[in-house]
Amino acid sequence: MEKVKKKIGSFSFWNWVIASIIFRLILIYFPKNLNLSSRPEVSTPLTSFRRLAEGYWLKQSSMSSYAGSMYHGSPLLLSLLGPLTVKRIEGQPNHLLYSLVSVIADVVSAMLIRATGQNLRLAYLRSLESLDLVKQIDVSEFLCSGDIAALIYLCNPFTIVACVGLSTSPIENMAVILCLYGACSRLIPLAAFGWVIATHLSLYPAILIIPVIFLLGCGPDSPPRKLFLQRHQQKEVLNQSKLPPGFSWRPIIHFAFWAFLWSVYVLVLCGISLKQFGGLWEMFKSTYGFILTVEDLSPNIGVLWYFFAEVFEFFRNFFLIVFHVNILFMILPLAIRLRHRPCYLAFVYVAICSMLKSYPSVGDSALYLGLLGWFVNELADMQFSLFLFCGYVGVSLLSPVMHNLWIWRGTGNANFYFTTAMVYACLQIVLVVEGVSAMLNHDRKLRILITGKPQDAKS
Amino acid sequence: MACNTRNKYPAQVFNNENHRLNLYGDNVEVDYRGYEVTVENFLRVLTGRHETAVPRSKRLLSDEGSHILLYMTGHGGDEFLKFQDSEELQSHDLADAVKQMKEKHRFKELLIMVDTCQAATLFNQLQSPGVLAIGSSMKGENSYSHHLDSDVGVSVVDRFTYYTLAFFERLNIYDNASLSSLFSSYNPSLLMSTAYYRKDLYKRRLEEVPVTNFFGSVMETIHTDAAYKALSRRNSGRFEDEMSLDQSVHHIERRMLIKVNDGYEIHDINPEGEEGASKCPWSTFRNKFQKAENVDSLVNYGLVAMIPLLVISTWLVQ
Repeated sequence: MEKVKKKIGSFSFWNWVIASIIFRLILIYFPKNLNLSSRPEVSTPLTSFRRLAEGYWLKQSSMSSYAGSMYHGSPLLLSLLGPLTVKRIEGQPNHLLYSLVSVIADVVSAMLIRATGQNLRLAYLRSLESLDLVKQIDVSEFLCSGDIAALIYLCNPFTIVACVGLSTSPIENMAVILCLYGACSRLIPLAAFGWVIATHLSLYPAILIIPVIFLLGCGPDSPPRKLFLQRHQQKEVLNQSKLPPGFSWRPIIHFAFWAFLWSVYVLVLCGISLKQFGGLWEMFKSTYGFILTVEDLSPNIGVLWYFFAEVFEFFRNFFLIVFHVNILFMILPLAIRLRHRPCYLAFVYVAICSMLKSYPSVGDSALYLGLLGWFVNELADMQFSLFLFCGYVGVSLLSPVMHNLWIWRGTGNANFYFTTAMVYACLQIVLVVEGVSAMLNHDRKLRILITGKPQDAKS
Repeated sequence: MACNTRNKYPAQVFNNENHRLNLYGDNVEVDYRGYEVTVENFLRVLTGRHETAVPRSKRLLSDEGSHILLYMTGHGGDEFLKFQDSEELQSHDLADAVKQMKEKHRFKELLIMVDTCQAATLFNQLQSPGVLAIGSSMKGENSYSHHLDSDVGVSVVDRFTYYTLAFFERLNIYDNASLSSLFSSYNPSLLMSTAYYRKDLYKRRLEEVPVTNFFGSVMETIHTDAAYKALSRRNSGRFEDEMSLDQSVHHIERRMLIKVNDGYEIHDINPEGEEGASKCPWSTFRNKFQKAENVDSLVNYGLVAMIPLLVISTWLVQ
């Protein structure tokens, strides 16, 4: 019976995957121009396809690809994707090859998400076994979190729009997911590669080093260590082999070594590529400097552009520091609180970055919504889930409308559009807060099941 | 007329019922319109005798090498052309103005085309050399309109103008049509009048004069999406030249380095500098290394090599 159920489950998974690929292809071949790549929600100055094509053209004309402050991405992306922006096949839609690359990146990300999810699920079941809670928690009710997460990622309208809208978000997301997959599966060179590439393409995945260190040191998500100790105190059997291993530094050192190797490799390639045009300093100024100083204030679905459009020059540096520290100061407390669940920590970090980064887009949201699928079992009791879902739907429908009212019809103004951006940020905040509290409630529930009575410590 | 309040298509004047061409379009410069079109202003423009405050855009800034096309249409008659329903330009006034133009060297060749009733009488009094004139009808004949546009409510084009335009529409960019072919293209039965031209004052033979002497063409620009394919590929010799420029700055030969902004070509007149650069082996190595294609292919190889490196390293450490 279970085999049949599993078979049916896996059959419809591949169905959904193929259906989403076909849907993407339909949208790519759609005869009318959907103009998705010009939407501010989809393409930002960092991920825009038009800017990539411009950077490539500048490079082909022997000028620095960062000239004119159009292109702000990695020179390796230019070498990789640049020729695809100009290649045209007779009778096929424009940029077909580039869209196919995005589709392939999406599919690869989904497969990696699935594999990591299966890994996480196995680890969860194993930890429940070693805590002897298998009878008390109905394990057969557990959904296949890997499949669900992969399907959420593939069939999410945000992902589809980011893929068809020719932004570089699918590739950035693939790098982040590769890093997390490598860390979960203890493939250290892969994790280091993913982390280096993700940081190189956009600055913010650098903070994922903390969950990666925890993943490599302790292993995938598991209930807090002291629960294991309490359980074995109860049983009075100090069977060390059933305990999860403690923190080990060896994988971290390996990771540091491989990360150093890959960064040197990437930086050398970039240096060669930019030798005549100012070298690595120019690249850092145009990519990381551009992200950190928020030079471009064109509207997007984030909240920084509106603020920096009106701040006085005198206070600009101060507020830049404030906004960036806003991300940084949340790193340490979350790391302390969620150190036993590094994948969840990674999800929270990705969500916070997607919300507070300089130029957010729906491609970034697609990433953390996909990662949310890994925790459907733990977060089953999350509050406000319907409110959040309706909120997301509402914002994604209203935001283009407000943009149209503001820019094209002139009957609205920037406040209309910024309202939807603020609501979107509020929704993301609620999601993060409720998610973290649901996860902590889940841990609390496990502790109650083990000790039999609620502890008075605040946890 | 285009901005007349009774014009159903404001600021648009068509030459055909099918409204295909807007003759009042973006590439037409109108300097005198409405009440400014008077005989006095017309003669001032021709002779160049303006008040000091008249701006340059309202002057005929021609010199002794200019070819001028003067095209007049409207209502007219025996030795006159009607202006604004209230005054007329007479043939001796026109001849006087042309004489003044010739004295002041304001043209080299002048082509006058008149499309009114009894048009050929308007240039009866001309005497200045270098003037060629053609009218749509002779004395005693009327010139007729070609067809009526029922949408606008008036006739849109006269026959002489229509067949002139038809002649030019038939030409392509490589035809070297002469004025004689233009003048002989007018068919009296189609025009319903006789197009008469006067060439006694014009010294050149009409078969040798191309129509482009007096008529220009309007280029239609078509926007395509293939904007990035427009330029040629980078010149591989470019960086070599730059290298030799750096190395032989102390040389005193003339070196013309024209870097066109689009990045096409570099003209290096003196080839000796390159020999000087190639003498040093380090500079040849740097030379080769700095060639654009080499850098590109190196980076591409590096990128492609990343994948097998990753696979091998992951498999090894397993």
